[in-house]
Amino acid sequence: MRSAELMVGAFYNPHLAAELVRAEGIDHLAMADPPAPHDPHWPAIKQRYTLLLHDYLGQLSEPLDERSIARARSLAELYRTPWVAEHFQCLHTEDGRYNINYVFPPLYTEEFLQRFVTNANALQARLDQPLVMENIPGFFDVKASQLPEPVWLRRFFEGTGAGFLLDLPHIWLEAHYRAVKPAAWLAEFPLERVVELHVAGVVEDNDLQGPWIAPAAPSDEMLDFMALAVSRCPRAQAVTFDAFSPSLTPEVLLSSVERIRQSL
Amino acid sequence: MSDREIQDSVIRALADAPFRASPDWRGLALADPTRLERFARFLARHFYHERLVHFFKYSRALARVTGRRPEAVLHGAGFDALLPTVVLGSRETARAVAALAVRHVRPASAPQTIPYLADLLEYEEAMMIAEAGPRVWRDDAREVIARSREQFPPEKVEGTVLLDLAYDLPAVLPKLLQPWTEVPQASPQHGRLLIARSPHGRVTVARADAAVASVVELADGRKTLPELARETGLRSDDLEATLAGLADLGAVRFATGS
Repeated sequence: MRSAELMVGAFYNPHLAAELVRAEGIDHLAMADPPAPHDPHWPAIKQRYTLLLHDYLGQLSEPLDERSIARARSLAELYRTPWVAEHFQCLHTEDGRYNINYVFPPLYTEEFLQRFVTNANALQARLDQPLVMENIPGFFDVKASQLPEPVWLRRFFEGTGAGFLLDLPHIWLEAHYRAVKPAAWLAEFPLERVVELHVAGVVEDNDLQGPWIAPAAPSDEMLDFMALAVSRCPRAQAVTFDAFSPSLTPEVLLSSVERIRQSL
Repeated sequence: MSDREIQDSVIRALADAPFRASPDWRGLALADPTRLERFARFLARHFYHERLVHFFKYSRALARVTGRRPEAVLHGAGFDALLPTVVLGSRETARAVAALAVRHVRPASAPQTIPYLADLLEYEEAMMIAEAGPRVWRDDAREVIARSREQFPPEKVEGTVLLDLAYDLPAVLPKLLQPWTEVPQASPQHGRLLIARSPHGRVTVARADAAVASVVELADGRKTLPELARETGLRSDDLEATLAGLADLGAVRFATGS
């Protein structure tokens, strides 16, 4: 397999900082939030790890304003990140009145494609690092969408040259709710664009009455799915255990990274 | 409708339960109603879990004494009963959810070891309510606010709160988040805190002296600066400095259209 070429890492969870400073077998940490001003472990974390910027920068359905761009540049410089990640998401209304505070995909239409391409290109022009974009799962279809998600994503990448951050549990969940095989759904996506992969567990949710994303260890099935995906992503550079939550234990984080590494 | 307007309708349907039940939304027939309702309820629990964990973090740190975590209310009948009226991010829903948390934590306390618990819960509740409401996501709208300064009478921003406390909470709050074996204590000391939110949604807390408190109480969007100076007894430059500080915190804005 390709384990020698791939970085394997996790998210920086500040409540696990002491364990992460001492941990072995973790190549990188993704940063979902900036370090707290008085985080005593931050200097050691910064010195030791490759850090990946994975914060909320803004939704690319609209252009990022100067304040957001300055923040992205500042964080990218602080982390010395090899790439900057954002999501295919549109989670607040244009007037700011309604906000669901959770990743949610845009309509897969020509209008939204043009918005995302234009705004991603504008953002890339202001960054010193490549942009990678993460797929977001839909729990339900919106009838106004015009294109299949994989086609929309492929055209976005063609229009921007951005990299693909492939979130595998998101693919797995969509396949589950569409009642198709995960491998078949995965094959629809532009895997040749993938730079980084996210892997995590899923758990049953009472409201959804089905599985959903969770800061849990990946199952054997998910790890097999990851191995399959990696074999089809020739440009992938990193696999990240995608769990960021105060409820995450060091045992789950460390063992998940280890199992990911063994499965590659 | 543009695609962006359709997306906004979907976002609103997920955020706003009364809209979701309305003929306006149902008539659009954009999504499977059962799936949408499930996802909306999931989002509601997620949205308020994040806020309860953040704004009630001090009571959460005391849970090993009180035995009650504030976010547990999200899995109770009280929150389920709220769901048909929930509007994510609204001040009304923030008030209702925060009240559930206060009612959950308060009776289980050990008052002999946490005499300041009532103050603490009032503070946390006020913080959560202050954070709610529409926010500016892009800076171009803020320029209008900045330009309007000094042209219009100042007014207290909705959600700004002056909180009267019987204990010195600011001194004890950081200690609650550090490792402790005995419950950190706050000394009895009357004080006033100002809680305000910036247009971007950042909540700030500051000790309020008499000058700050009187300006906040009197800034009604009608009184001019000379009138405010006369009623507060502040010199003109002191008043302007106080107003500038309050405007930066988001406690006061300069009213338009009055």
